Amino acid sequence: MQGRANLSDYVEMRFGPRWTYISCVRKFVASFFMIGLADKERAEQISMAASELLENAVKYASEEEGYLKISIEKQNNEVDVCVKNKAESQQINTLRREFALIHAGQPEMVYLKKMEEAAMTEGQSRLGLIRILFEAGAKLRLDVNEGEVSIHAIFPLETA
Amino acid sequence: MNETLTPLTIEGLSIVPAVHDTKLRLTMSGAVEMRDPGEMLNPFWTRIDEEARSRNVQSVEVDIRDLNFMNSSGILTLVRWITKLKVSAAYRLVIRYDRNVTWQRSSIPTLAKLAPNVVVPLDING
Repeated sequence: MQGRANLSDYVEMRFGPRWTYISCVRKFVASFFMIGLADKERAEQISMAASELLENAVKYASEEEGYLKISIEKQNNEVDVCVKNKAESQQINTLRREFALIHAGQPEMVYLKKMEEAAMTEGQSRLGLIRILFEAGAKLRLDVNEGEVSIHAIFPLETA
Repeated sequence: MNETLTPLTIEGLSIVPAVHDTKLRLTMSGAVEMRDPGEMLNPFWTRIDEEARSRNVQSVEVDIRDLNFMNSSGILTLVRWITKLKVSAAYRLVIRYDRNVTWQRSSIPTLAKLAPNVVVPLDING
């Protein structure tokens, strides 16, 4: 974990794709933003997003590049939760399709439709991103740079 | 007459079922954040569903107020249960949640929209 002096709040963690770390990071993020924002609801939404993004990263990260990175940056008007990892091109294409799909309709309708579809198929839920979008009210952004995937969940903050 | 059924305890999660007259009640505590919760939860929900049908209970009540987190894979296990119940409704599924817990307040009413005739979200203050 490290700090950057020119931002109001910034935390970054880099670790191997171990499932057992996710719960620990979620609890830390919730506690950190409970104090930093004094807004329990926002802190819980941010920590849920961090947890869902990390779960995706651990499940779908490239096995050859064994690390992932989470950074959380709080500026005046928003909190940006970013999870970064290396991924294979097939996974990147799946993610791009997923992003197009979850942004193709009203979030609640998309969420319910994805739930119904997921219930009919075996395997992974693929509900994490739409959950962040709908339940936590975050904006999602996908950046890909030379096989490195960054997914941002951006939370607007109420200005005083 | 009250009767206790076999509970489920796995990786930081506990589910204790009990029969109270015409109601089957499940109390969940801990967190659902394992990698593949469906491995254990899907067969457990199926067993509860079969138990509820064989006993002709009017409702199954799942109390999640002490559940501090559920990941989306855990949500999917409930979606699978609700989907089966929607096709063949034999009882009402009542989910008691704490309105002060953000994920519960956002996830449970959404889940209920999958089958509003059989799923009843019951928000409690604490």
